[in-house]
Amino acid sequence: MAEISQKDQLALHEFSVRYRAGFAQANPTPDASIDTVKNAVREEYEREQLAKRSQSIEPSGPTPQREPEEPEPGA
Amino acid sequence: MDDLIKLVRTYRLTSGLSQRLSLAERIFRIIEPDLRIFVFGAIAHPAAQDALQEVLKAIAVSLAKFQGETAKEFWGWCYRIARNKLNDQFRKEYADRMQPVPPEQLWQMIELSAHDAPISPAVRHDLEHAMNLLTRSKPECYDFLWKHFMFGLDYADIAEERGVSYDNVRMKIGRCLEEARSLVS
Repeated sequence: MAEISQKDQLALHEFSVRYRAGFAQANPTPDASIDTVKNAVREEYEREQLAKRSQSIEPSGPTPQREPEEPEPGA
Repeated sequence: MDDLIKLVRTYRLTSGLSQRLSLAERIFRIIEPDLRIFVFGAIAHPAAQDALQEVLKAIAVSLAKFQGETAKEFWGWCYRIARNKLNDQFRKEYADRMQPVPPEQLWQMIELSAHDAPISPAVRHDLEHAMNLLTRSKPECYDFLWKHFMFGLDYADIAEERGVSYDNVRMKIGRCLEEARSLVS
């Protein structure tokens, strides 16, 4: 099995770092992408809030049964 | 600690909308270019822009649920979401293998990077060597080498994607590099 030489690994790593840096310079993140992200974050936030609200208005357990009244003394 | 993972961890702990929006913007300004390389390398061009937006949306929606602790795990998680999204919604256009970038385009980006960090003659020599390894590799090797060395996906990530074993990927990458090296020298 061929071992990957350290020289190749370092060269490929440096190439990767520089290629991605150059690409990011040539293609700065467009506003459209940031808008997409922010809309998704807002929608997710609203979903979470809705879930929290519906949890808080749900009754925490069954309504306690009223104890039968004790008969009046002497009744 | 890596700035990116700090931002992601802070996002996970943040409950206010305005802070989340600000953190998400900072995170995506860092990761969007790499995701763009990934999507545009895998999808036929007319659909690539829509595909990228869908990938960004899917990552943004799940951002608070990311469980990892390192930048490497975070990148692996992002690429997994991207791959699933492309597979599900853009199956017709999804090439499943990275499309080779012409050497002149690769080198153009390297030269651009030199604006911020000048390239010494020794480093330039290494970079040319790396580019030759990538561009002279066989087409079936290109995807393996690109994903492992350019996107930093580890053997396990690639094995999962390809449905093969970890050792299979490890050996394939070793063989691909050895073949490419023999073509370069």
